Amino acid sequence: METALTSAFGAAAQKITAEEFDAIVRRHQRRVHRFLLMLLRDPEEADNLTQECFLRAYQNLSSFRGESSLETWLLRIAANLARDHARSRKASFWKRLLGLDDEAENGAAAHVPSGDASPEQVLLAREDVRAVWDVANQLSQQQRAVFLLRFVEEMELTDIADALGLQVGSVKTHLFRALQTVRGKLRDLR
Amino acid sequence: MNSNENAHDPLVEQALIGFDLAAEHHIAHCEPCQTERERVEEALCRFGAANREYANRPASFWEQQAASIRAAQQASVQRSRATLALVPSVVVLLLLGFAVLGRAPGVRPVAVAPPPAQTDSDHELLVGVERAMGRRTPLALEPATLMVEESSGNEPLNSTDESKERRSHEN
Repeated sequence: METALTSAFGAAAQKITAEEFDAIVRRHQRRVHRFLLMLLRDPEEADNLTQECFLRAYQNLSSFRGESSLETWLLRIAANLARDHARSRKASFWKRLLGLDDEAENGAAAHVPSGDASPEQVLLAREDVRAVWDVANQLSQQQRAVFLLRFVEEMELTDIADALGLQVGSVKTHLFRALQTVRGKLRDLR
Repeated sequence: MNSNENAHDPLVEQALIGFDLAAEHHIAHCEPCQTERERVEEALCRFGAANREYANRPASFWEQQAASIRAAQQASVQRSRATLALVPSVVVLLLLGFAVLGRAPGVRPVAVAPPPAQTDSDHELLVGVERAMGRRTPLALEPATLMVEESSGNEPLNSTDESKERRSHEN
């Protein structure tokens, strides 16, 4: 939901005060951080890139035209940072070496909301989460970004397209392929 | 469900991606597809909820992160201000430098002329080339030419003044 502050942000981007910028950080940092954590599966890097994302946003305020929402613009910066980070061979080497690829998968599975479910149901739910993560890991980074924005962030297709600089049709295609794989994986579980 | 899952697959995915009238219409009348859709939707909901929960951090974490971003942003502002402040200083220093160099006593623009020694050697080289071109025989082969002339008693092969002169000296 855009507020007066964020909608005014586009018009008077360069005149924003430190306090106003701080308010924007506090409003959007959770989503940006979560998106980066899901994409990178590395809590430390997600934290670093969240900071970098807001810093870049501040330095490039003049390029924000207010055509998309501020949050979409921030997520686009975050996605670009994650893509650049993933291209770094050094980063993937250390990630593989330290087994960080499995960190988010196991970490998320351990956070399955149990509610009134029986231990057996919780176990099945964890299997589901692991299976979906397993599929997400096999996707290309762009496909994973689309998938996570849709099913973790619960964003609309048009917003996903804006955030990743894609056509809505491409977003649908990425989701279609990902869902086909998810369905296949879930079938194998049973 | 397995019997018709291949035929109906695209419709389930289409319904899961977003609202699709044809897919919704089919699924409303097809129980296996309905079950399949619910199964995948449930797994995706769990996946989303588990990841949101996993990414959740205590309030202190967000405070600390916001403070780090604020500090980085202020450092960035200070850096750009320092850069902006340096620009007029550098311009003033450059102007001062040009002014001092322009007014310095004894510093006058001097026309660059080639050194006389080099001019002489160039002239000598040209004269040498002209002489060499005037000879019939190259300088290095002149002794051999003289021997041939002497043994055959013919007229000199090299008719330059220099060789005639040299022969007369030899005689």
